[in-house]
Amino acid sequence: MNALCLKAVRKSYRVGGSQVQALRGVSIEVAAGEMLALTGPSGSGKSTLLNLCGLVDAPDAGTREIEGTVVDRYSPSRLTQLRRERIGFVFQSFNLVPVMNAYENVEYPLLLLGTAAAERKKRIWEMLDRVGLAELGRRLPDALSGGQRQRVAIARALVKSPALVIADEPTGNLDSATAMQIVELLRELTRERGVAAVIATHDERMTRHCDRMLRLVDGEMRDGEMRGPAQGEAR
Amino acid sequence: MKWLLFACRNVLRNRRRSLMALAITAVGTAAVLVGGGFALFTYDSLREVSARDSGHVVLGARDFFEGDEDLPMQHGLAGAAALDAQLRALPGVRAVLPRIQFSGLVSNGDKSAIFIGSGVVPELDFRVRGPQMKFVEGEPFGPGSAVPEIALGKDLARLMKAKPGASLTLLATTTEGNLNAVDVLVRGVVSVGVPDIDRRLVLTDIAAVQKLLLTDKVSTLSLYLKDTGESAAVASLAQAALPQLAVRTWLDLAVFYQAVRELYNRIFGMLGAIMVIIVLFAMSNTLGMAVAERTREIGTLRAIGTHPAEIVRNFLFEGIAIGAAGAAVGMAIAGATTFALAFAGIQMPPPPGRSSGYPLLVNFSPLLYAATGAAVIAISALAAYFASAKAARKPITDALAHV
Repeated sequence: MNALCLKAVRKSYRVGGSQVQALRGVSIEVAAGEMLALTGPSGSGKSTLLNLCGLVDAPDAGTREIEGTVVDRYSPSRLTQLRRERIGFVFQSFNLVPVMNAYENVEYPLLLLGTAAAERKKRIWEMLDRVGLAELGRRLPDALSGGQRQRVAIARALVKSPALVIADEPTGNLDSATAMQIVELLRELTRERGVAAVIATHDERMTRHCDRMLRLVDGEMRDGEMRGPAQGEAR
Repeated sequence: MKWLLFACRNVLRNRRRSLMALAITAVGTAAVLVGGGFALFTYDSLREVSARDSGHVVLGARDFFEGDEDLPMQHGLAGAAALDAQLRALPGVRAVLPRIQFSGLVSNGDKSAIFIGSGVVPELDFRVRGPQMKFVEGEPFGPGSAVPEIALGKDLARLMKAKPGASLTLLATTTEGNLNAVDVLVRGVVSVGVPDIDRRLVLTDIAAVQKLLLTDKVSTLSLYLKDTGESAAVASLAQAALPQLAVRTWLDLAVFYQAVRELYNRIFGMLGAIMVIIVLFAMSNTLGMAVAERTREIGTLRAIGTHPAEIVRNFLFEGIAIGAAGAAVGMAIAGATTFALAFAGIQMPPPPGRSSGYPLLVNFSPLLYAATGAAVIAISALAAYFASAKAARKPITDALAHV
């Protein structure tokens, strides 16, 4: 069963007086534990497709399935609940809550899920340890480097054991060395936990760690699907 | 608890702005509490003055409170002595005082003036009236002297050029419609702080008045209670025991008290409404700016599965945190002001129609504090709701793209 399946999704926006076709019938499937890279020039529709995958926006046409369930007719409240339980997000600018320390940022999704305090504590420290931040759990985001913040964001996305992680340019604000560490960390964690990941990126090095790569141009898939070397490594 | 902790941290995120909202809320709270406390002090004072003047419960003949009399004591109350024992047996009754209201002319031989008199039982009446009747000269008269003794209002005494020890003559119409006169001795000069009354007032022994008016009736029987709050209950009991009589509470007869209360309620009600608006604007501004600055954060939290209502709840906690802190500081300021005024000895100027001022004091009312605190917190929560509800429902993609 695929973690995510989009079939012929279309999305258009009204910009000024004219209608802009952001996506023109795109279909993708992502299996559990698979990491999919979305590439393409600016304005090609990567972010729009990512928003549809993460259920934060709705398509004009086409269908979306999460873990085999069609979600297009879900109410906003039910979609929120589905995101809460099954989807994690990693943003380019980390988007951590500044008044919460690293531990609390990772704790937030578990608080939403109503996880018991003891279980919550165990999972958070495990997760922080896994991303190499066990010593820095009590630090506020302001006191962390960019790479450390993105590690916290990854921990926040994965601590609830989601089915799918959506990452929008997760290395966009990081230096090369840190970016590589973050990519490798994301790859390891999603693979070992069987989490599907869809990553929008311009970074060539990042695509090399992904199982597959899709290139979007003007809202359409171009050049077909390309397999990344990581696919081979995984098998 | 966690959410409240995060809310408090968010409040401290922009300390200066939160402090400003807190200060405005505190000043508003303090203003309402001091103003309200002053109004309560005024109500309490006027209530005591009114109750001491008329009695907590007043009984008269059926028509006494309704119509004018064609002849003095036409609607008088007979058999007062028998009623006295019956009324004294009611629970909470401290004293039963018969009174006669009468009027006529007072003369010093050279000139005459109209007086409005009250026949009283002096040994009881001066005691229950307490500090509201001040003897500016002389002393209270007693009962049963050979020559009836009187106390004069201070302005009437000045008009009559009468000092304690002076002789005057009271002329009044009897119950039969004839004129009668009695020589009296001035024993004291009093002031009740109301020039219109001080210009006309004559107090004398009730037996002397009955002799002057040729009657054995009294105008009213005034019941003085241990607790003013029991007035309505005792009035009901008295009415049930004596259905042939008309019964009024001090509140029914306290026209001035009711007028002042109505006026103050409007003034302080308006002050309260202004404070509500100021606090609402201050909180809306503070939280509105916080929401605008944190739109992207809201988008992030929405994306990771926070319902709009939960976003609003978080801002409600922030509003409540600022409101509660502001209310607490405002209460402290009001409490300190109340305490300081109790020792400052500041006098207010005489109000219109009065000749003496009164101390500037503020009552401490736990109920007022609790109600004001709750109102401030509710207003803050309301402001937080209005500030955050729209942002919480903004499309997530728009919120995440917010710069």
